[in-house]
Amino acid sequence: MSAFVPLVALVLTVLVLAFKAWPAIRVNGAHFLVGSSWKPGNVYGAVSTTGGVAHPLGSSYGAWPAIAGTLESSALAIIIAVPISIGAAFALTERLPRWLAEILRSAIEVLAGVPSVLLGLWGALTLGPLLANDVYPIVANHMPNVPFFSFFRGPTGHGEGLLTSGIVLALMIIPIVASTTRNLFAQVPALPKEGGEALGMTDWEVGRKITIPWVRAGIIGATVLGLGRAFGETIAVAMISGSLLNTITPNIYGTMGTVAATLVTQLDSAFADGTGFEVRTLAELAVVLVVVVLIVNTVARIIVRRTGHLAAPVGGVI
Amino acid sequence: MDPILEALDPDRTRPADVLHSKGLSLAFGEKAVLSDVNISFRRGTITALIGPTGCGKSTFLRTINRMNDKVSGFRHEGDVSLEGESIWAPTRNLLLLRRRVGMLFQRPNPFPMSIKDNVVAGVKAHQIAKGKQLDVVAEERLRQVGLWDAIKDRLNESPYRLSGGQQQLLCLARALAVGPEVLLLDEPTSSLDPISTEVVEALLRELTPALTLIIVTHNLGQARRVSDNTMFLYQGELVEHGPTAELFEHPREARTENYVTGRIG
Repeated sequence: MSAFVPLVALVLTVLVLAFKAWPAIRVNGAHFLVGSSWKPGNVYGAVSTTGGVAHPLGSSYGAWPAIAGTLESSALAIIIAVPISIGAAFALTERLPRWLAEILRSAIEVLAGVPSVLLGLWGALTLGPLLANDVYPIVANHMPNVPFFSFFRGPTGHGEGLLTSGIVLALMIIPIVASTTRNLFAQVPALPKEGGEALGMTDWEVGRKITIPWVRAGIIGATVLGLGRAFGETIAVAMISGSLLNTITPNIYGTMGTVAATLVTQLDSAFADGTGFEVRTLAELAVVLVVVVLIVNTVARIIVRRTGHLAAPVGGVI
Repeated sequence: MDPILEALDPDRTRPADVLHSKGLSLAFGEKAVLSDVNISFRRGTITALIGPTGCGKSTFLRTINRMNDKVSGFRHEGDVSLEGESIWAPTRNLLLLRRRVGMLFQRPNPFPMSIKDNVVAGVKAHQIAKGKQLDVVAEERLRQVGLWDAIKDRLNESPYRLSGGQQQLLCLARALAVGPEVLLLDEPTSSLDPISTEVVEALLRELTPALTLIIVTHNLGQARRVSDNTMFLYQGELVEHGPTAELFEHPREARTENYVTGRIG
């Protein structure tokens, strides 16, 4: 029975949120997903009614900047964290002496346990300003003005923004992905790896062509876990993103917001809305987050299934 | 060999002994595994390496392609030379050594990639061929091991759906693809059924004299069937070696006789 608890909890959460959000979903319509305005309207003034739902005059909600910010910062975090995690896992299982590997492994686990508010504070006070003063300008000044790379040009701000958020999120994801991947690597049997070595492959080739593909499905699973963390991470991003609500940042350094961060930064003022409409809108935002997480999980499952046919049998015949 | 034929042998300028082990002693930490092994392996022959479990057979075999080097505590005294040059010579490229000295393992160990990619994995790693040439290599080697007709339509499929015998033949094709001179076989049929074992044994005979084979086996019948020479290891000591028929029919040492007649094992 207890196996059903997570499922029931998930379904109930979504149902309650959706129920709460339903009036906002009706009033905000499709504009909520594609629009870029976040206006509570005059919460102390006249009340307007749309389709029987009361909301402050002038309120208009479009969450696209927050949705885009969530996708961008999470993608950045994954792009930074996954290669580092795989490299770290490889070093821990294949390269480093056992005593050193054990120390580093505990360090990774400690990093996993650091409260995100601490990382957020560190990002806001130390890492962000450091990067914005000494690193971002160098990168920005050396990027060619061509599509894609032009995203790395322009004003570099003061350290609050997309790239800083991506880096701090990456630090939060690395422990998850690295320790899962380390455990996966440790399970790869010696025989196929020795086969590669005996054929004259370098350690790097053995890792890339045998060890990693052997546990490919598991690495994708670990990445999705990390992605879930990045999507949902709230407080650290609220502290270092700059909490921009109405615009999508034109370059990688700019301030931005995410769905999760918007929920926490706007909740207090939402309670000031006597019609309760902004709270309902935040509930709608939460539903969007759940849907995005479910979509990403589904896509990941499809990828695992598509690439799984060449992978080693689960449990390993060897 | 006839003197005229010998004079025309393309290998005439190369040493007749491909591999040579001289005063080789091996140990893992404090535990001595092998002591003072002196033996030469003649080009184009099959040598069976027999002896009870724990006698050092596999350790000896895995020393030749330096698979033991990274095992912690591994130490060696004496030397193994490939065509006159020590396998541990500072100028020796480990990856090239392993291209020249291939290995087949106790159990099939296909890589997690398609059947075709398995065959050419080493060819790609050593950048011997690319593109369409890889298809040529794959077909040639799969034909050589007799797998081509059975799996030519499944080249892009997973190797793990093949039978155990087919997987081992695939691994043999993979080892042969990089053009080794010496092939080390570590009980290559111990996990196979009798029919697959027969197929592999027949193939090994066909690989000589182009290749020099050293095969570790627990199966004395197999040693007698496939090998030209046999070496008998017992408790880390090379007790006796010589032509297979002679060693089995007229062993010089009592320990050899006891082992080949099944009195010790």
